[in-house]
Amino acid sequence: MSTSTAWRTLADRLTVPAGGIGVFLLLAAAFFFFNGYAPLTIFNQIVQGAFGNALSINTTLTKTIPILFCALATALPARMGLISVGAEGQLYFGALAGTAIVLHMTSAPIWQLLPAAVLLTLLGGGLWGAIPGLLRAVLGVNETIVTILMNYVAIQLVQYAVYGPWKDAGNLGWPATIAFPEAAKFPSINLGGLSTDWALPLAVLLAVALHVLVEKSRWGTGLDLLRSNPRVARMAGLSYTRQTLLVMALAGGLAGLAGYVQTANVQTHLQPDISSGYGYVGFLVAWLAGQNFLRIIPLALVMGGLLSAGDALQLFAQLPFANTVVMQALLFMSVLGVGAWRARRKAAV
Amino acid sequence: MNGGLLLGLLSIALLTATPVLLAMLGETLTERAGVVNLGVEGQMLVGAAAGFAATHITGSPWAGLAVGAAAGVALSSVHALLCLGLGVNQIASGLAILFLGNGLSSFYGTSLVGQQIEGFHSLRHGWLADLPVVGGFLSQLTPTVYLGLALVVVCGLFLYRTQWGLVWRSAGESADALRMLGKHPMRLRVTAVLTGGAFTGLAGAALSVDYTRTWVEQMTAGRGLLAVGLVIVARWNPWLALPVALIYGLSEALSLRLQSMGSDLSPYLLGTLPYLVPLIVLLLSYRASQRGTSMPQELAGVFRGMS
Repeated sequence: MSTSTAWRTLADRLTVPAGGIGVFLLLAAAFFFFNGYAPLTIFNQIVQGAFGNALSINTTLTKTIPILFCALATALPARMGLISVGAEGQLYFGALAGTAIVLHMTSAPIWQLLPAAVLLTLLGGGLWGAIPGLLRAVLGVNETIVTILMNYVAIQLVQYAVYGPWKDAGNLGWPATIAFPEAAKFPSINLGGLSTDWALPLAVLLAVALHVLVEKSRWGTGLDLLRSNPRVARMAGLSYTRQTLLVMALAGGLAGLAGYVQTANVQTHLQPDISSGYGYVGFLVAWLAGQNFLRIIPLALVMGGLLSAGDALQLFAQLPFANTVVMQALLFMSVLGVGAWRARRKAAV
Repeated sequence: MNGGLLLGLLSIALLTATPVLLAMLGETLTERAGVVNLGVEGQMLVGAAAGFAATHITGSPWAGLAVGAAAGVALSSVHALLCLGLGVNQIASGLAILFLGNGLSSFYGTSLVGQQIEGFHSLRHGWLADLPVVGGFLSQLTPTVYLGLALVVVCGLFLYRTQWGLVWRSAGESADALRMLGKHPMRLRVTAVLTGGAFTGLAGAALSVDYTRTWVEQMTAGRGLLAVGLVIVARWNPWLALPVALIYGLSEALSLRLQSMGSDLSPYLLGTLPYLVPLIVLLLSYRASQRGTSMPQELAGVFRGMS
């Protein structure tokens, strides 16, 4: 490849992200301007609120973890053409299952409790993912609709647990379980002023591992084949049923981990609102990344930063937190819109 | 169970079902023309917020319904732009609309929390209430219930009994066939998305202006997404939308009724009913709905995969 074509490929690859971000900045600026805020001041505050100092970076990292897990949980089924919107529910159900073991082994040492809780979380989230997978594979029921409906069921089940049998009387009416013991938490990492949990490197590692598996392994090629040409895939001996179940269960487990980390490390109790929509934000991130596991990592960090900045804006600019949801939507629309427009132009040439 | 109790349950079911029914009718019209819109939830939210605000300002619930519908049209036009204009995947575009509607309604709706509105005048003292036997039942229903029932008839007659309806349905079956008839599938689909937006905005307004008479963030609680699922159960048929919405309404009414009767079951477990019952009905009816010719052919691609 000559230098000029290399440059052209690079420019070509940057068109969509750069164009998308450009359109996003214009739309967001318009949104703030029409609501009586100075866009540049707000943009500056967003960057400061997300990455300005050690404290804001820590908050950003904390919010990145569940987004990253949920994005992986969306991208994996998407590799074989399944559109799962179920990360939110899998997150809740995984956390519910993980909490069950924590409540039964409160005084166990960390080398027993944490692995047991993670295992139960994987099983719980996996079950919540496998059900729509099974219905899809066996009955042909649309997985998008089923995963959406199951989200609401899982949230209700968590509410049942924390308002009912698992409610700790010591909380004086606050609906939550007992505080998790230290042994149930992912240990923390401290580097200078920065701190996070081991769950973050775990999530990054899983993203890289999934990338390698999907891009380089026979299994990954099989998933691609099942998406693009199910008939050929079946002739090659691939089982649609088995792969759908496997992929959906794995995805459910990944989303479940998001819920467990949030419960054990961030909130330290199981309580009614685990997630503030991380499952849906993860969906956006996975789609923005074009279902590419490596690209998910930086995008999850950006979304984590946006959420963390939302807290800061609420405090300093008195902006309702909902402005971050609006910005997420605008970013998503801009990048998808520019990407689709670009694809059309290319197809037309 | 005596007749009075049954009628009482039915009237609660109708009241509960109406927002979902309206959203189902809107999504049915949209999908019949070959477009899926998961943004229904967001459109309902902006409809609810805008409708509530309009009622609060003007004092007229009818103005609230109209403004709610207009807000739904405005938001659905973004879906039309994204998926029809630019070619974004319809599921992804719909979720973007969901987020946008959720964010915008919360952003502008904060000042509406806790506000009071009048709502519709009760029909309890009109001529309807004086009718023998059914008078009591009929007068419990609100104008939006009657509006919802009327729109079932309008949509049903439109799709199956008019020339326009035939053209509309053929847009969902085959864009190419429509083009050969000298029609523009794109123009028709944009119309269908906007019409769906009007219905779902109206659905949201029915919820905030009439059913709850309050505005709370994310008050739709999944009703919009549920409606998209229920459209499949109703096989893209406006006439079937009514009984299917009633199944949802009944499960919701039942969970409320059991709670008020002091059932030992947790209200949160009962709260899963309005999602579980439609899910089960979806499973039971899925085979049948696939076997038939009911799914608009152009939707098959969207529902089957990501391409």
